[in-house]
Amino acid sequence: MQFKFLSVLALSVACFAQKNPFTGDASAVEAGRLLFRISCAGCHGLHAMGGRGGPDLTRGTYSTGDADRDLYSKISNGVPGTEMPSFREPLDDSNIWRLVTYVRSLSHAGGAAIKGDRVAGEKLFWGKGSCGQCHRVGMRGTAIGPDLTRAGKQRSLAYLRESVVSPDADLTPGYATIAVVTRDGAKISGVEKGFDNFSARLMDLSGRYYSFLKDNVTSMEREYRSLMPSNYGRMFSPRELDDLLAYLASLGGEQ
Amino acid sequence: MTRLSLALLLPAALLAQSGAGEWKTYGQNSLGWRYSELNQIDTTSVARLAPRWIFQSGMTGGFETTPLVFNGQMFIAGPSNNSWALDLLTGKPLWHVKKTPPGRLNLCCGEVNRGFAMLGDRLFRVNIEGTLVALDIRTGATLWETKLADHKKGYSATAAPLIANNLVITGIAGAEFGTRGFVDAYNPETGKLVWRFNTVPGEGEPGSETWSGESWKLGGGSTWITGTYDPALNLIYWGIGNPGPDMDGDVRRGDNLYSCSVVALDAGTGKLKWYYQFTPHDVHDWDAISDPVLVDLTIAGRAVKALIQANRNGFFYALDRTTGKVLVAKTYTKVTWAKGIGPDGRPILIPGQDPTEEGNLVCPGLGGGHNWSATAYSPQTGLYYFNSSEDCHLFFKTKQGFTEGQWYQASNVEGPRGAHGTGRILAVDPTTGETKWHFDMVSSTSAGALATAGGLVFSADGQGYLIAFDARTGKVLWKFQTGGGIAAPPVSYALDGKQYIAIAAGGSIMTFALQ
Repeated sequence: MQFKFLSVLALSVACFAQKNPFTGDASAVEAGRLLFRISCAGCHGLHAMGGRGGPDLTRGTYSTGDADRDLYSKISNGVPGTEMPSFREPLDDSNIWRLVTYVRSLSHAGGAAIKGDRVAGEKLFWGKGSCGQCHRVGMRGTAIGPDLTRAGKQRSLAYLRESVVSPDADLTPGYATIAVVTRDGAKISGVEKGFDNFSARLMDLSGRYYSFLKDNVTSMEREYRSLMPSNYGRMFSPRELDDLLAYLASLGGEQ
Repeated sequence: MTRLSLALLLPAALLAQSGAGEWKTYGQNSLGWRYSELNQIDTTSVARLAPRWIFQSGMTGGFETTPLVFNGQMFIAGPSNNSWALDLLTGKPLWHVKKTPPGRLNLCCGEVNRGFAMLGDRLFRVNIEGTLVALDIRTGATLWETKLADHKKGYSATAAPLIANNLVITGIAGAEFGTRGFVDAYNPETGKLVWRFNTVPGEGEPGSETWSGESWKLGGGSTWITGTYDPALNLIYWGIGNPGPDMDGDVRRGDNLYSCSVVALDAGTGKLKWYYQFTPHDVHDWDAISDPVLVDLTIAGRAVKALIQANRNGFFYALDRTTGKVLVAKTYTKVTWAKGIGPDGRPILIPGQDPTEEGNLVCPGLGGGHNWSATAYSPQTGLYYFNSSEDCHLFFKTKQGFTEGQWYQASNVEGPRGAHGTGRILAVDPTTGETKWHFDMVSSTSAGALATAGGLVFSADGQGYLIAFDARTGKVLWKFQTGGGIAAPPVSYALDGKQYIAIAAGGSIMTFALQ
């Protein structure tokens, strides 16, 4: 008897979870916006365009499925293997649907349309740009800089453009530059692998790893600048940049 | 060496004071000094400090505890309702008890605990779900457990209790959930409530006029860090947390007493003797929970019984602890919300600092200049030691409905783009508020401070370093990488003629003595 009751309950919840009761409801959009600011903005950004952790949600396409019920499921259950937790406990069904309604309302207000040619952009990435010398996409490239396998799902187009032309604008945490001057005057810099009050660890662009104790060097600084060249905005024509961005925006984790 | 030989190492006058080699209460003494009179480890010998034993709890971390040490044992109140007694010589556990927390807890900051109180043959701690527990010191067995408040409504408990006037004094946490704070006193034998001081006055009570409408009902004002006690005045001093909801002050117009205040309570009755509100109508989550340390100072040529606090709002304060009058108020970190503290004791506000829809950049940030971590006062140097967070935040405000037991902060903060907060350990002259030295850190630390008669200050960082400073100059004299992030204060004690330093690091307790 108890089993039967639970089955019916589960079925009714599943049915409820299929359909958004607030589709087209402007007040639900506003309520969802307030909920988003409280519960989601910390990772997805105040305007849902992607923070340092959560993906851009304004593009109308989502890594875990594009239907309302997919969004509901991910908010309710979380996404295993990512930082996205379950919000089933703090938010009830109707509030999760209000969030879904708000997120869906953003999809047309998303960033600029993708203009470039993805295939041409892929060639530029691995060819003229030599981006793979420092970045990895799937199994290709080198993981000295941030892994770009899912960059298209994680960042807005505007953010990706800024990262290409102004690499220092907003560093990915953990990818600062460590600059060390040794006692014999040698200057060594590389990507941060660790930095604390008394030691520093880094990897230079050739992949060589270094570790220093502060007591044993002349100076040891963490600089909030990127080791990525800052001339891509000049190296690429506007059209090439669009192509490159089309490629980056297409990166969703598929191999 | 024997215990007797310690007498050869320590001045007789110091040994005559009971407890010089022990650590029997959260702040080492009821005044909250965190000062050890042991001096075997000093500015010269500290270079020979080395690990003696490590107790691995089996937990992954989350220790914020101040170990208690006496009678050849160390008592640890750990996270998730775990408690241990350890043999002081070897670190081997004598008993371990655990009460599994309820499944659904509404917590801001993990299942942490900051330590025991002790009276006679009993230990007292809070459990995370908001109970106060008395344990048999010999076995860890529960003698009584009293519910402080309903955890389903968002209440929880994390602070070490305080013994004052032979009562067990405790606070409560949960101001981010629309709760109403209090300071309670319990009978140590029976666990029965003796008195309660509500930190948010009820309808018609003095101070209720500082809350618009019925906002007092969700007013917050939690009491999540241990207070101090002046036996001569028989007054308990306790810091009060933020009003709720944190960042939307529109729904709770007024000063919102006694949030962000320190209160002086009669230890026998819990009656309010005086209060001082550091941050009237706070909208930045600047709880006044930093240690309220009781010291006798000479300020501007006048001897005063003072209470000092490095407040989360970025100002260091010295108050007259008999009246609550402000004697010194000076910033110790970057402050953008107030020009200073006026002669009436109220902050001189800089307009336009409240949270907004699009975010307003304010310094200090959400965690404040100095947060909860334990502070130390050295009568040897006359300096006050604490850490700071050198940071600013964008504060956002969002209209939020209240649901019982749910997060009610309305709304949150972000670090400004391109900014990277750092931290410091500071030595401040409490008679002037002047910073005498500081040590810059790559990030702020939650580890507390310990001052010793060896002319040292010990503190630690989140990356695992335990550090010894020259208390007068701030020079780093010794450091050790413990291998676990540190968010707990060090303590010092003596055993068999040796002075020890102990600290919780990661999921372990580590002890150190001279080689």
